[in-house]
Amino acid sequence: MKLLIVSKLDRYARAVTTISKYVQVGKALGHEVAVFGEQLSNVPSVPYSLDVSKFDFAIFVVYETSDFPDLPYLARLLDGMPKERRVIIDCCGRYNETIRIEHDFNHLEKMDGHQGWEWIEGLQAVSDRILQPTLSPLRTDVRPFLFHAYDPGVAAHRDSTPHQATQTRPGNGDGGKPYGLIYVGNNWQRWTQMRRLLEAIEPLKNDLGPICLAGWDWDKRPDWAIQLGVRGADVDPALLDRLGVERRNAIPFDEVIEFVGQARFTPIFHRPLFNHLGLVTNRTFEMFCSDAIPLLMLPQDMVEAIYGADARPLTPGDDVAACLEDMLRRPDTYWEAVLKTRGHLSVHHSYEKRFKELLAILER
Amino acid sequence: MKILFVMEKRVNAGSIQAVANYMRAGDEFGHSIALYGRQDPNFPRLRFSTEASAFDYVVFIIESRLQWMSGLRLPRILSRVPRGRRAILDADGMYNPTIAVEGYDRNHANERERLVWLTTFDYLADKILQPTPVPCQPGVIALAFYGYDPASQIRADAAPPKRFDIVHVGHNWWRWREVSNSLLPAIERIRDRLDGICFVGAWWDGVPPWARALDLEAAFCVEVERFRRVRIEVRPPVPYSQVIPTMSEGRVNLMTQRPLLRQLRFLTSKYFEIFCANTIPLVMLDPDHAESVYGPAGRELALHDGIGDKLLDVLSRPHKYRESVEQVRRHLVQHHSYQRRLQELVAALAA
Repeated sequence: MKLLIVSKLDRYARAVTTISKYVQVGKALGHEVAVFGEQLSNVPSVPYSLDVSKFDFAIFVVYETSDFPDLPYLARLLDGMPKERRVIIDCCGRYNETIRIEHDFNHLEKMDGHQGWEWIEGLQAVSDRILQPTLSPLRTDVRPFLFHAYDPGVAAHRDSTPHQATQTRPGNGDGGKPYGLIYVGNNWQRWTQMRRLLEAIEPLKNDLGPICLAGWDWDKRPDWAIQLGVRGADVDPALLDRLGVERRNAIPFDEVIEFVGQARFTPIFHRPLFNHLGLVTNRTFEMFCSDAIPLLMLPQDMVEAIYGADARPLTPGDDVAACLEDMLRRPDTYWEAVLKTRGHLSVHHSYEKRFKELLAILER
Repeated sequence: MKILFVMEKRVNAGSIQAVANYMRAGDEFGHSIALYGRQDPNFPRLRFSTEASAFDYVVFIIESRLQWMSGLRLPRILSRVPRGRRAILDADGMYNPTIAVEGYDRNHANERERLVWLTTFDYLADKILQPTPVPCQPGVIALAFYGYDPASQIRADAAPPKRFDIVHVGHNWWRWREVSNSLLPAIERIRDRLDGICFVGAWWDGVPPWARALDLEAAFCVEVERFRRVRIEVRPPVPYSQVIPTMSEGRVNLMTQRPLLRQLRFLTSKYFEIFCANTIPLVMLDPDHAESVYGPAGRELALHDGIGDKLLDVLSRPHKYRESVEQVRRHLVQHHSYQRRLQELVAALAA
């Protein structure tokens, strides 16, 4: 099958990793995947195409309005691909009534100029088939499809035992890694949870080692957010300074796993809206490929549903400091949870499996 | 006829006043006019609809930005209204060859950008309308579009107190060269003989921080210090419903127009709003151009040569100029009413 993905790729954000994996896995399974548009140099591993007629389906991967092409490309796409052969993957739960969780929204007119109804009716105009990367969509006319997935071939070390895992990672047992904790992600709707984590682990700062946040807008609340009165990019530079937190620019998608592997731990957060809707992201899975122990800062039911019961020890719950302290003391135990969870992800959430799920949806 | 306007809704800029007037004229003449969208508290008196297929024609009012026509917004309209029932009002002269006036004001930064606009227009609609009597591009329909609404006129007994001798309502968008080269030198010479002066609009208080990234610094150029020295008060833009009352705070109102649109002879809402205000309008057009829009009395209100002397004369002998203003208003009622404009629009769409 030939799939044409419609989305705006960015080396530092959104679904670039997932889409590049679909290209690889699709090819390995005898299919063809390309992204709609003129060939861009920012992601050379992904082929682009404007030849709409050559493809069987158009898969719109939607985060923002800019994921839809502008005219005249939009016209070429809509004219060349009939509605019944278009599918939307709604990655941010836009196809819902307006929802606000803390400072997080699924529709934010002052940022993109589109009201909630425009999202719903606009997506309906493009396709009858709307998928969301959650196990439990709110709307009955949405199909669950997790979209993002785990690549077992990329795990930095393929250890067979927890002891081996600990031994092959200087620092997970004896403090030799350059960072105690790295978080890779942009400062968008993460601050409330990040603050909670940082404040909780402050007493362990010396034992843990340096902390690094890599992504956009961790230095200060950006001017545009102040001008628009948007709280989703809040940050407290004084707290970060007090903890000596290193802030770095965003990391390109193909360097994330290696970069995170320089830390002993890496937290996995989802935006408040995503927690509410059960939406997964690329990072939900990708962090298990890295050479760091993931801290699952996620709702317990989501952890079990996605990662399986073996991931429970990786969920710090309310007492993050105590959990982290124990992780520092007994890394073998937690690496065992990581390895078992990787096994679970390989069986249930590999890109190969995901790709086949998508084909099944398309063929129905 | 049922007409749905689709536009970037801006409460303090663009063609929103005209749309409000089309709705009123439509109600009077049995046409149904609405603006695409849902009811919006920022536009309390406008009628909205999202049912594009319920209208005979969709008219996109396109100014100097395309981004608001997002790929999320457009498919809903395009899938319900065939191209033959879609028209574009090209309010900013984008459907033209690249034109740079005096190496300054321009419609396109480069040929690539122009091509995007042209292909976008060609895809969107069968008919392209421009508010000028003399379109440059073959196939473009000349349609004045903007008009005069006598019901919006503020009479002396309902006017706000005069707080300024001179008021200018409009954004600093390609206007600085004319203001700095023609208007300010004249005002500087007579400043001590004038009372308050106020410029109302965006970007008179500085170049916006994002202008450089868009290569549009020239469009927003302003010398804030010079304004301060000349004692010109700057106020932020007002919503469209307050434009005419705000103009009415000045004994004299000045109308400037960006050079590109003046060269293309494009009309704008401002051409007519200023004659609804309780003020003496002076339009910075050459007298022939002023006469072509406003009739013979328009020559008297053209601010072309001898700007300083003219301003002093108008302020010292307002009665004389009020007579010219009344003559222009009568001309506008006869030739540029929204009732007439609506009939012209209906005819252009149906043709």
